[in-house]
Amino acid sequence: MNYQEILEKIKTKVEPIYYKEDLGVLNAEVKPSDIKKVISFLKDELKFDWLNFITAIDWPENQNIEIIYYLYSNITKDKVVIRVKLDRNNPTIDTITDIFKTAEWHERETAEMFGVKFLNHPYPKRLLTIDGMDAPLRKDFKCDDLKPLPKD
Amino acid sequence: MGLMNGIDEKFLKKIPGAPVIMTSIEWIINASRANSLWTVTFGLRCCAIEMMHTGATKTDWARFGFEVPAASPRRADVMVVAGTVSKKMVPIVKRLYEQMPDPKYVIAMGACAISGGPFVYDSYSVVYGVDKIIPVDVYIPGCPPRPEALIDGFIKLQKKIMTQKFRK
Repeated sequence: MNYQEILEKIKTKVEPIYYKEDLGVLNAEVKPSDIKKVISFLKDELKFDWLNFITAIDWPENQNIEIIYYLYSNITKDKVVIRVKLDRNNPTIDTITDIFKTAEWHERETAEMFGVKFLNHPYPKRLLTIDGMDAPLRKDFKCDDLKPLPKD
Repeated sequence: MGLMNGIDEKFLKKIPGAPVIMTSIEWIINASRANSLWTVTFGLRCCAIEMMHTGATKTDWARFGFEVPAASPRRADVMVVAGTVSKKMVPIVKRLYEQMPDPKYVIAMGACAISGGPFVYDSYSVVYGVDKIIPVDVYIPGCPPRPEALIDGFIKLQKKIMTQKFRK
């Protein structure tokens, strides 16, 4: 399938807010409330059986946190990227752990690194950082003992 | 006599005509400690690979009395902190150190364990040197240090142990 066919099939289920083609891979942005619907649709009907990763991008100028789901199909060898934009001050989204079990650790890492809250997560503990630390991958992260790199 | 390797003649005195060696209790205890150092079996990052190599056949550290890596910290005398200590790892390193019986010694191996190494700048997760959390006896610079450097650090630790005093 090329990206237009995947896009047409996604459009039968949910309406993407925005989409683009990047290196032959479809990037589709959907509403946060549609995420479980579109992921389970991709898994069950379009045979995207492999969740490569979940990560996020911080956009301070737009006050957005963008969650990225990268899916791959071992059957049709297709790739697709689903993007969701959340409010930066209170980022909250449903977990997809009940669809892809591997999303559990990816969501825990995204949660601690970007301060995103995943609702109904089965084990919402920190994975890599210590308790009490802010989200370190946000652009405005401050830490007491952080030494900034000296500029030449 | 293996025991006399590198020991000054003035510490040992053989009484003529009798199978007796006279020396001080202090020297005997220090020599026993220094020549049977067991290490805690753990490595934190890439320096641990070099530490494993040091214990393997090519540069066998048992030649110098460091013997085996202990299977439990309760049997160990020396802890080689081989690698970066991240903040998440601090309680575990501390617990390992507290489980070791006295007398216990710590070697900070590599740039990361000494000062944070390449992770000093713009890092939110690294402790700037293991001496911030536990006392360190010997520092071995390098990234990572060669096995010869690690053995050199161990021999320096042995010399330090030999200078311990028991009298107040």
